[in-house]
Order: sequence, then C-alpha cells, then structure tokens
Amino acid sequence: MTPTAERQMDLTLPMVEDIEIAAARALGNLARELGMSQKSIDEMMHAVIEACINAREHSGCADNRIYLRFIGSAQGDGSRIDVWVTDHGKGFDPDEARSRRPAPGEAHKRGRGLQLIEAHMDEVDISTHRNGGTTIHMVKHEKKS
Amino acid sequence: MTEELKVAVDRKSNGAILYTRGYINNVGGEEIANRAYELMDEGVRTLLLNLRETKIVNSIGISILIEIIEKMMEKGGRIAFCCLTPVIHKTFQIMGLANYAKIYDSEEAAAAELAL
Repeated sequence: MTPTAERQMDLTLPMVEDIEIAAARALGNLARELGMSQKSIDEMMHAVIEACINAREHSGCADNRIYLRFIGSAQGDGSRIDVWVTDHGKGFDPDEARSRRPAPGEAHKRGRGLQLIEAHMDEVDISTHRNGGTTIHMVKHEKKS
Repeated sequence: MTEELKVAVDRKSNGAILYTRGYINNVGGEEIANRAYELMDEGVRTLLLNLRETKIVNSIGISILIEIIEKMMEKGGRIAFCCLTPVIHKTFQIMGLANYAKIYDSEEAAAAELAL
C-alpha cells in the first residue's frame, strides 16, 4: 500500500477586515507542503477567501468567529485537501442563493461568492440551518501527472 | 491585518497604464477606482490595468472593477487588463468582467493594440 502523508490544521479567526488572507495563506502553505500545483493552490486560496467573506458579511453570528479546518493528504497518485469553513450564524437557503445568481459570464456586481467557490473547487457541500450556523465543505483533488 | 493595495500610474500620450500591487478587495478596488476616475476626469479614455503584481482578488474588488468599466463605457472609453494569473483570469470570466474589457497576456500586446 502506498504511504499516505496527512496534514491537519484548525484555525479560529476573528471576523475582521482581510482576515480571509490569513486563512488563504495558511491553506496555501499546507497545500505547498503536499506538493500541489500553484494553479490548485491559487484556486483553493480564492475559494476560501470567498467563503470567509460570505461568513463575515452574511452570517450575522454573535461570536464573530470563523472556524476553519484543513485536512490534506498525499498519496502516490496525487493529493487531496478538504476544507471546512464554519460560522455560528443565522444560516441561509443555498437554493435561494443560487436562484439569485446571474448567468455565468454576465456582469453582475455582487452575489458571486458561492459561484466562485464552486468554480474553483472540485466538490462543494453546504450544510446550513436556520439560526444554526453554516459549514461549507470544499474539496480539491490533484492527480500526479 | 492589512493588505494594502498600491497603484502606480504611467501616463501615455493616448491614455494611461495603472499598475497594481497587492490584494484587490473592497479597499483596493476603491483605490483603483479613485485613480481611474481622476484620470477619466482629466480626459483619459483608454486605461490599461496591469495586474502583474496582484495575485489575489475577491468578488467585492471585482465588482468595483466592473463599476469602473461601466463608467468608462458611459464616457465612450475603454478599459483593458493584462498580465493576469490564470486563476484571476478565470475569476474575471466567471464574474462577467471579461465580456466588457479585453484581457491581454502581456503589456506589450495590449499597448500595441490600444495604441498606448
């Protein structure tokens, strides 16, 4: 069996201006340790930035914290990073949010965060509950070429 | 934590090139907008944004770039971008910005076509 290298990082960040950059840099560092390509790293960094901004701008949480977990694993045939971005806010309806989304390529000033996350990551799953918080789970895979 | 964006302007005979360095978020987008609107007020109608030293953007910053493009289009001018990372290029396409502003691989190619 091919050995697996696994890295885990947990962060609790205050909802302050530009904190998404701290999250993105931490994720980028973990991805670099796993040997992922710059393209995958950049895509993940942009996705986690949008997830943190959504939490900061829309969650309405009382604790003003964003909770992040990154788990990365590298095997012989490639690597994978799972990212969870959680807030303890009011939750939202993902289907309703998607219904307000402009068509891809249509110029629109706001409401693109979730669309960008889905475009930059391979898998995205949203768990959200009215007044029970939101967790966005995102996955990036990379096969060794 | 701050990630202040720096903007440098190079005036040309037929327009201007704006060089950005750093994160284009709401604050960075407003900084670009301020410089772009100053140039528009001075009569500049061709602007090239060179993002060679910008590696990260967010959706709020891009929404401000779209506002700048709209204002320039109202004045009959044009805005173009060059030297984007592949992920920023992809993000611009998703956000619709690429439909209203040309994107060039290099400053030389942009300057030649825009006659800057």
